[in-house]
Amino acid sequence: MEIEVGRVIRSSTTRFTVGCRVLQPQVPVFGALVKARAGVEIYGLIYDVRMEDDPFLRQIATVDDLQPEYIEDQRHNRQVPIEVGVLVVGYRHNGEIYHWLPPQPPLSLDVIHTCGPEECVAFTRQFDYFRLVLESRDLPADELLAAHLRYAAQVRGKDKDSFLLDAGRELARLLAMDPIRLDALLGRIRP
Amino acid sequence: MSDDRLLDIWFHRPATPTGTAAARRLGIVVGGSLSEGLRVKLDQNTVVEGMAVGRYVVIHGQTGRRFFSIITDVALDAINPAIEKTPPDTSDRFITQVYQGITTFGRLKVTPMLVLDEGSQEPRPVKTVPAHFSAVYEASEEDVSRVFGAADEQHFYVGTPLDMDNVRVHLNLERFVQRSSGVFGKSGTGKTFLTRTLLAGIIKQGVAVNLVFDMHNEYGWESEGEHRYRVKGLRQLFPGQVSVMTLDPESSQRRGSKVDFIIRIGYDQIEPEDVELLAPLMGLTDVQVGALYFLRRRLGRAWIERLLAEGEAETEGPGELEQILDEGKLHGGTLGAIQRKLGMFRRFDFLQPHVSVDVVGKIMEYLDRGMHVILEFGRYGSTLEAYILVANYLTRRIHERYVQRKEAALGRKGEEPRPLVITIEEAHKFLDPAIARHTIFGTIARELRKYNVTLLIVDQRPSGIDEEVMSQIGTRVTALLDNEADIRAVFTGVSGAGELRQVLARLDTRQQALILGHAVPMPVVVQTRPYGPELYAEVGHEEGEDLQSKLERNVALLRGEQVEGFD
Ligand SMILES: Nc1ncnc2c1ncn2[C@@H]1O[C@H](COP(=O)(O)OP(=O)(O)O)[C@@H](O)[C@H]1O
Ligand SMILES: [Mg+2]
Repeated sequence: MEIEVGRVIRSSTTRFTVGCRVLQPQVPVFGALVKARAGVEIYGLIYDVRMEDDPFLRQIATVDDLQPEYIEDQRHNRQVPIEVGVLVVGYRHNGEIYHWLPPQPPLSLDVIHTCGPEECVAFTRQFDYFRLVLESRDLPADELLAAHLRYAAQVRGKDKDSFLLDAGRELARLLAMDPIRLDALLGRIRP
Repeated sequence: MSDDRLLDIWFHRPATPTGTAAARRLGIVVGGSLSEGLRVKLDQNTVVEGMAVGRYVVIHGQTGRRFFSIITDVALDAINPAIEKTPPDTSDRFITQVYQGITTFGRLKVTPMLVLDEGSQEPRPVKTVPAHFSAVYEASEEDVSRVFGAADEQHFYVGTPLDMDNVRVHLNLERFVQRSSGVFGKSGTGKTFLTRTLLAGIIKQGVAVNLVFDMHNEYGWESEGEHRYRVKGLRQLFPGQVSVMTLDPESSQRRGSKVDFIIRIGYDQIEPEDVELLAPLMGLTDVQVGALYFLRRRLGRAWIERLLAEGEAETEGPGELEQILDEGKLHGGTLGAIQRKLGMFRRFDFLQPHVSVDVVGKIMEYLDRGMHVILEFGRYGSTLEAYILVANYLTRRIHERYVQRKEAALGRKGEEPRPLVITIEEAHKFLDPAIARHTIFGTIARELRKYNVTLLIVDQRPSGIDEEVMSQIGTRVTALLDNEADIRAVFTGVSGAGELRQVLARLDTRQQALILGHAVPMPVVVQTRPYGPELYAEVGHEEGEDLQSKLERNVALLRGEQVEGFD
């Protein structure tokens, strides 16, 4: 079951931003795997969800007696969209999944969907994309990866623990020289 | 695709090269050298604690070669050395599992010994190493069996490799007797039992005749093992092929050991050379040893008798000795010391002023007939001087005869003498660096098999043996040694075997031995085979009950109740 998140409003090879109208209970969530349906399917992890203000909002925020209906209305009919930051972690071409950066970024207004459980399992069968996450600057990379792994484990049902163990071992390989970071990360994905 | 392969895929097992479906992959080669051994990183799933020094592994090289190697060390390693300072939280199973085999892992040190070329069945000595990342497998029983061959006329089963109860390690006895060999180990590690096993093999295969200087009366007739169970002596296992001689008939009789001959040596047969070997033991100085030769010249064949007689209180008149002193040829103190020290001979009842039988001739006669001779020392076994005196006395003369025979044979004037193996215990007393150069035992060890005589030395302190002699020891069978110097000594002259020291120091305290050298294709740690009923049966000995039932069967046969033949 794929849910539409929104449309691309800014993009680059490594990251893109999706504009989204409302927050739904499941969408967008930090760490979720999403994809852009461009020529190739581009996969990314949601690393940020941001709500900017606008002049009108600023005014309302200071009003004393706000009616609940009024607040609801403001939330749904926003002037500025919710911005969802996505870190690119791979792409699919001719049915083959690659854990490295796509040749081209998604185009503006491309639609972004969440990935369903099967696709999530398929994408996380290998861990080559870990480095793309761990090496990203100025975003909470470890938190992101941990949230993503917890989600990817969840969709596996009874294979959850062995998945986390495999992922943990890959992390141990990558972060062997940084035991403190590794420890913190493992602590976040421990079953 | 074969069913096996399908199963492998099903169970996510890595493909193994053909013929080793059962072999377990342990890790990969990550570095090292031929001289210092290879470093192996264990796979994540290989349990370090399942590895053991002394076991075999097979490395599958890139070119289809297989390298038989022996594990010489097991170690723990980590990608980041800092982990030793900040170990992870091991109470958490998840964290422990993640770390195991990834950031922390086991390592082996393995020494390649033999190489088997692709398609070949004949292992050869190794002259190169497998490439980086070659896979390392546990050696299968099949692999090890191939190396240690099958039992045949030359090969004798001596034990099983560690953890491989179904594989038999065979010693090439023909090669074993070609050069001098040694059985080493601390006291109580099984040297005597092992030696008895080896001797049984030599007798059964008929590769040599044996002369055993049996210090503790353990080879000929029944003796007691631990827990008071009795083990059979060689004479019992090979009736009619082994003859027992004794220096102490009372002791032999008491033990029920049947004796063919009582050894007596006349004072007049002893030469200074026979005594010289005892110098360190008796405390004879160089001057005193020199004096022995002088006295022998002056006093003639009866020199010892005269010296001992003059030593007694009732000397009659001015003897020749006083004359010698008067001449100033000998210092009075020197003479006195010699007389005092030789005085110990009086306590040796097997020494008599004069003996008419030629003991050496007698022993030679037995050996010539292919009879193995075991010389029991009885109570004299606890007197090292007696042991050394007799062993040296007999060996010198027997060797001399062998030299004559061999030379005659070379000149086509006689038959080649049978190869002879002389077994001595406490060998370091004979082969001490200070005397090895001058003694017959040093000579025999050094001249290899030039005259068809070799030694089988049994010793618990190999560091006391002259290095040059040690380096000539062809096959070394070594049980546990814990003294650093002794361990080093065992490897004298063995190239690239330094790593094996680790193996040696970690043997069990009993019935395990490292065998290396001439008689085995590669060093091997064995659980030595039990010296007991199975061995008795293999060498052709039949227990009393069997004889009885056989007799009954043959009687039945005679009565026409069966139609098979006798046996
Ligand atoms: N191959 C073997 N078969 C049976 N028992 C053995 C064997 N090797 C050693 N033993 C046991 O160990 C004890 C000590 O062995 P022994 O050969 O007398 O040691 P060593 O000569 O080194 O002092 C023996 O009494 C026997 O009980
Ligand atoms: Mg002994």
